[in-house]
Amino acid sequence: MLEAIQFSSLREFFEMGGYAFNVWSVYAIFGIFVLVNMLLPILRKEKIIKELKRRASFEKAETDSVREP
Amino acid sequence: MWMWFAKLGSPRWFYEISTKWLPWLVSAMCILMIVGIIWALLFLPPDYQQSFTTRILVIHVAVAGTSLAFFPLMAVAGTITLVWKMKLADMVAKNAAPLGAWFSFVTLATGSLWGSVMWGTWWEWTDARLVSMLFQFFLLLSVVALRSAIEDPDKSAKACALLSIVGCINVVIIKYSVEWWNVLHQPSSPLSTSNESANGPEFWMATGVMILAVYLFFIVSLTLATRNEILQRERRSQWVQEIVRTS
Repeated sequence: MLEAIQFSSLREFFEMGGYAFNVWSVYAIFGIFVLVNMLLPILRKEKIIKELKRRASFEKAETDSVREP
Repeated sequence: MWMWFAKLGSPRWFYEISTKWLPWLVSAMCILMIVGIIWALLFLPPDYQQSFTTRILVIHVAVAGTSLAFFPLMAVAGTITLVWKMKLADMVAKNAAPLGAWFSFVTLATGSLWGSVMWGTWWEWTDARLVSMLFQFFLLLSVVALRSAIEDPDKSAKACALLSIVGCINVVIIKYSVEWWNVLHQPSSPLSTSNESANGPEFWMATGVMILAVYLFFIVSLTLATRNEILQRERRSQWVQEIVRTS
């Protein structure tokens, strides 16, 4: 399997036959695109849960204070 | 049949079933994406004309192909919203639009980075494929803008549904632009495993893996965003409050 690798050195791999800028830019854009669209919804979920928790405890405190007297 | 349809439209049912399915979808997506990227970067033999730039096309073809799925999806979801007023369909449509804009943008950027070295130009205004894809990008941005511009959620859902149905015309134009007009952008090469075809079997296998990976990514990302939407819109219901309490 290793002999099927198209590059004989690490340097050759980074050079990409002289198209280093174009090839690596595309993979960088793709990486950012995938990461952002996976992480944003995950972070947003945490924010929503936190906000809903805060609201629930707030509402609970309100009903408790009504019942007290 | 109608029972199944009503069930499918229930946000709670969708949330619970996606909780079960997500770990599998995410694992499959990660494996396919890692395999596809390693295959493309290390093992794809250089093309006799394009050298190592075919590594760009593996990504470009996968993202571009998936980007065409957005308007049909939003049109189907929009029709369901208009006819049956199903809550879930509108939640999917709402979150599909910004993700579709991302897909269209990445398609344009990766295509440009390939064209700049293979065609000698970053952009060509006379090419129908390029211009119609740019139009799809702006059309998706306008769906996002329309959604936030109309305050009444029912009215904005209806307006976005209509625009999505009209937007499908553009998908047909993108798809057939390379056949209807004589353009710079090459038509898609037929999937072939023979060594004489324009793209050899190695290219198609690496691209096939990448197409599957990108489709899974599209499903996973849209599902995650839709689940957030469900939590917010259904926050008053008992079952969401239960999820909030236990998490």
